[in-house]
Amino acid sequence: MEEKTKRAIRAGVILAFIIVVISLLIYSRIMAYSFAPQSKQVDLRGLPIWQIPITYLIDYFSHGTVCLLFAFTVAGLIYEFVPKETITKYMGSSKAVGYVLALAMAPFLTVCSCTMVPLFGGVLYAGAGIGPAITFLLMAPAANILTILLTGEMISWEVAGVRIIASATVAVAAGIIISKTPWGKAVEEEHQVANAASASAKLEIVKPPLDERLWAALKFAGYLAKQILPFFILGLIAVSYVEAFLPEDIVGTYLTGVTGILIASVLGGPLYTPTLVEVVLGKAMWDLGMSKGALLSWLMGQPYDVANALAVSRIAKWKVVLTYMLIAWAGSVTFGLLYGVLSGSL
Amino acid sequence: MKEVKVEVIGPEPPCMRCQAAKKAVEKATEKLKQADIMVDIKKINIMSKEAVQKYGVLVSPAIAINGTIKIMGRVPSPEEVEKLIMEAAK
Repeated sequence: MEEKTKRAIRAGVILAFIIVVISLLIYSRIMAYSFAPQSKQVDLRGLPIWQIPITYLIDYFSHGTVCLLFAFTVAGLIYEFVPKETITKYMGSSKAVGYVLALAMAPFLTVCSCTMVPLFGGVLYAGAGIGPAITFLLMAPAANILTILLTGEMISWEVAGVRIIASATVAVAAGIIISKTPWGKAVEEEHQVANAASASAKLEIVKPPLDERLWAALKFAGYLAKQILPFFILGLIAVSYVEAFLPEDIVGTYLTGVTGILIASVLGGPLYTPTLVEVVLGKAMWDLGMSKGALLSWLMGQPYDVANALAVSRIAKWKVVLTYMLIAWAGSVTFGLLYGVLSGSL
Repeated sequence: MKEVKVEVIGPEPPCMRCQAAKKAVEKATEKLKQADIMVDIKKINIMSKEAVQKYGVLVSPAIAINGTIKIMGRVPSPEEVEKLIMEAAK
């Protein structure tokens, strides 16, 4: 009995913390409080060179902490409570189901990059084949919870929504196209494992009590923060200099129109921006005059970054990697143009 | 003396959370020695055909005890692993 009350109290305390975090976000939404840094180019440029990042970081964290706290907490919770075993059971079952699950579940299963490539391998080996595997791979970094929450809160929910739809379309297209190419089929045949699906009978997932699960969720949120924040802060320092010294007329000339989309889409990939930094950097360039179309192309550049491609090329052949990078790039240009024209900001 | 087979399944090279999972198993093993239970720990690459054939698609880190996946996609505490192994040894 005493053990039970103890657990209930612990669960209650953690739940209270989560509710506080969520209501903080709601509160700041109601108060129309901005999560993005407010520094303007003029303010930053007048400062001594060493003070620019400090001012910018203080500015960022005085606004963005609630948003980051919320994003990490929610990511941890979803990751802990999503029924992983149900998803993985069906992910390998058939092609059509594979595509749908790859799309729907990529955002929830892959807040941590170290699970992404293994899952790609799992989907590929277990029978869904290379198509859904590629879809999953492209969808995961483009639309994980952290990225979407940050894009929505910092830039705008319209851009975040468009980003999800565009990424999903491109991811499915890339999956289908690659599954039709001879080199894609070759990889699939090489890796297919016979009757892997029947193995799901051997799963007997143990679920610990609620308070432990909640605590695990928070611990995972902390782990994510520890992994991402150092890069994020380094990225912010870089962004502060961009914001301070990148002249508006250069952005206006090169990052708008069709050229802007082409340049943004090319920069977004090879210039590997660690998760979440692309959002802040995109926001900075948008403030300086980048068009909405170019912004979308820039944000969609994530899935074909070099680090990611290297990890995948160890399983799939480089031809497959090259094909999906090309499709992802073409997709980011197409949707950049489309969004630019439709939103009147090319 | 009872023997229990524990497989820690994660990517190769190991990610931080899989190492944490393995450490939890190792800690539990130390304690279980006193209870006269031998634990045979094996590290399996999640990307190997062997793992997929046996267990299907997994989220890392995963822990299998006597050939059944008990934990997936999270890092358990040593106490939890200890309890699970005890149950398997019965």
